[in-house]
Amino acid sequence: MKTNKMRVLSIPYIVWIIGFTLIPLLFVVMRAVTDPKGGFTLANLFAIFDPIHRKALILSLLLAFISSVICIIISYPAALILKASRFSNKKIMIFVLILPMWMNFILRMLSIQMLISKNGLINNLLEIFGMNKMSLINTPYAIILGMVYDYLPYMMLPILNCVLAIPDDMIEASKDLGANRWYVLTKIMIPLSLTGIGSGVTMVFVPSMTEFVIANLLGGGKIQLLGNIIEQEFSVSMNWNLGSGLSVMLMIFVLITTLVFGRTASQTDRGFVI
Amino acid sequence: MIGRSLGKIYMALIIVFLYLPILVLITLSFNASRSRVVWNGFTLKWYREVFENHVIMSAFGTTIALAVLSSLIACFIGLFAALGIFAMKKRDYRIMLFFTNIPLLNADIVTGIALMLWLVRLFPLGFTSVLISHITFNIPYVILCVLPKLEAADFHQFEAARDLGASSFHAFIKVMLPDLLPGLLAGFFMAVTMSMDDFVITYFTKGPGVNTLSTLIYGEIKKGIKPEMYALSSLLFLLVLIILIVVNILMADQDNKKDNMERTQIRRRTLMKKIVLLFMMVCALSAALCACAGNNASDEGTELTVFNYSEYLDPEMIAKFTKETGIKINYEEATTPEEMYTKFSSGAISYDLLCTSDYMLKRLIDEGRAQEIDRSAIANYSNIDPKFSDLSKSFDPDGKYTVPYFWGTVGILYNTKETDGPVDSWDDLFSGKYRGNIIMQDSMRDSFMVALKYLGYSLNTKDEAQIREAAQLLKDQKSDVESYLVDEARDEVVAGNAVMAVVYSGEAYLGHEYNEDLAYVVPKEGSNLWIDSWIVTDNCKNKDAAVKFLDFLCREDVANANFEYIYYSTPNTAVVQSMDEDLKNDPAIIPSDDSIKDCEVYEAFDEKTTQLYNELWKEIKAE
Repeated sequence: MKTNKMRVLSIPYIVWIIGFTLIPLLFVVMRAVTDPKGGFTLANLFAIFDPIHRKALILSLLLAFISSVICIIISYPAALILKASRFSNKKIMIFVLILPMWMNFILRMLSIQMLISKNGLINNLLEIFGMNKMSLINTPYAIILGMVYDYLPYMMLPILNCVLAIPDDMIEASKDLGANRWYVLTKIMIPLSLTGIGSGVTMVFVPSMTEFVIANLLGGGKIQLLGNIIEQEFSVSMNWNLGSGLSVMLMIFVLITTLVFGRTASQTDRGFVI
Repeated sequence: MIGRSLGKIYMALIIVFLYLPILVLITLSFNASRSRVVWNGFTLKWYREVFENHVIMSAFGTTIALAVLSSLIACFIGLFAALGIFAMKKRDYRIMLFFTNIPLLNADIVTGIALMLWLVRLFPLGFTSVLISHITFNIPYVILCVLPKLEAADFHQFEAARDLGASSFHAFIKVMLPDLLPGLLAGFFMAVTMSMDDFVITYFTKGPGVNTLSTLIYGEIKKGIKPEMYALSSLLFLLVLIILIVVNILMADQDNKKDNMERTQIRRRTLMKKIVLLFMMVCALSAALCACAGNNASDEGTELTVFNYSEYLDPEMIAKFTKETGIKINYEEATTPEEMYTKFSSGAISYDLLCTSDYMLKRLIDEGRAQEIDRSAIANYSNIDPKFSDLSKSFDPDGKYTVPYFWGTVGILYNTKETDGPVDSWDDLFSGKYRGNIIMQDSMRDSFMVALKYLGYSLNTKDEAQIREAAQLLKDQKSDVESYLVDEARDEVVAGNAVMAVVYSGEAYLGHEYNEDLAYVVPKEGSNLWIDSWIVTDNCKNKDAAVKFLDFLCREDVANANFEYIYYSTPNTAVVQSMDEDLKNDPAIIPSDDSIKDCEVYEAFDEKTTQLYNELWKEIKAE
């Protein structure tokens, strides 16, 4: 089955990649290593180490990391619960997870903004029950909330795929051999679902790193992630060379992280498969 | 037992978390008020009006056509690519997957701008360029969904079919494809979802007049999302929900019959036929939609491509102009002058007419991007108050290039119930009195303006020490600021999330409409007076048509319709004279000469000052 003939089938795709992924990328790299007058420079790349940019990079890394961890903490027990329950129709679960994406992204974020704002619905509810108002909006926590909300399905789906694929017999067998619940979880379930966690982390971490709309809408413009700075270099400061330089560096950082996680994650297991 | 119900509660919580914001949006679609922060009772009228709103409906058509076409093409290319990649050696396989991941790894804005820069060299931007971009980011999803199915597929059946005399193609269609179909469908579904949800890449690669729901919504944030949009989104959501439930029942039905292999095979084939039929129907639908879109685009005759701020012109006036003159308008919108400059100067779209603000006008005129206009050729120009020739001196000293459109001031919108004592000075923003209740403009120039005016300097100062002093003031103020916003500032004050906000005068009038306790003031230290004017760009081939459009905009009935659409101050004296008394007396609509005596118009900065501003603003924001 694996013949040369079959490999030929990917030629249209290779042409497409060269035409619409690599060439545009080349444009960005070209801008990144030149100054506005066209001379060669590496300053745009090293600009990532300027205090402001470094701070934004670290904050981006931190928020993306926390969001990923929270997504795992929410998703894993859910996957275990689904596995244990007789309700094993994971198709329905996948639909339930993907369905919210059919409401426009900007509308969903505006809706979260309304829910958590100072005088918002949640605070009004808290007030009715005589509890203290929370001040979540315009803090980094609000951005984390937005990211977790938006990217949770990307974590949930691959983990669900992996956990549901673990044969029940294997768990039964280990229980018969005297393993307690904790042992089953740490020695069987988690190791066998690492690939799912790995691909989930890439799917959550990467977009969180490059995000700027969530930070703008929920961070009140007070929190600058690297995505915001890049966006501003392109659309406000009009320093496209610096913007390109920073985004090339961001890509490199993202690549490194995905390579680290990629070792545990099989690249093909992205978990959208019904 | 307890464990099981705990589990149920846990799952229920996740679902509540995911669906609560959706519920809020659906609720808003029944809100009688046009503002999202005011509830005026239940109504169904938006569900009726959305179908009469041709702007939204055409954007909806484009969105669907784009999503379906790009996903179908991505499925074709992706399916073959997956087969090819699957057959590759380990090393090539990894390399291909690496390249497949690139669109997923890159920041959207970079992908968008890079694609725009490249595509504009190949052909003029339009529907096709967006389509190509969407296919580009859709293919990876298809490949990543099909590959695992390929790996799990049983090739013995395929080989057997070949041995029994089936051609490769025939064997593939009859034996392999049904196995891959679930992966392909999942890929298609993901691709459609991603395409419908994308904003950034669409925004940069779209051509004139091409709008999707995302780009429309983004433009609407400024004036508040139209309730019709919530209605449409809710309907779309419901439609998808129903489709998913139906598909799910079909498939569940399928699974139950697994015990009987033969029947499953037959069922599978009938299901496959159903699915292929569905695909073809969808294709036909999207082709029909495209044909409609195409009809619009291929209109022969004179056309003008017009670039304006979003929600800054009554869309009915465009239709009216076309009806009167036969000249077709491609209407394009952007939210900030900088955004306009980026799109205009990239040459991606050849704009004929452009409306932007003073300092950006100056920049464009200096760069030779504006054509001279003979004002005497514009019959209705006599409606424009002559004082604007004077006020426009900083960017158009001889009155050769610009036609004023709207003007206004920057000031403080505040809630009279929450403030004590009069608010009449920028000092209220810096004294810490309203700590945590202040909204500043998320715009470099406007925020610096506030600080510079407070310190008693000119807002056009090029003195580095003065600019740095202002920046320090803004840095110290940051802990008092609730948020930096542009478009949503007004809504936040209306909703009571902040006591005061720095806003443009036009926003103030609408704010007062929604909440009577709100008032607007131009602080006594002076402020910015801004003038948005039209220029005819150097791209414009048909100057006569462009002048006709400008003349049309200056005509009393048109200027009045536009005024009533946005309620910014109009330079059109004919409109001002026929206004109601209470409008005339509203300082947000017609600033008194006294209140603007210390106001200045922005001038464009030189390279060095611009850089200093950029640096300092970044520092403030990152503080």
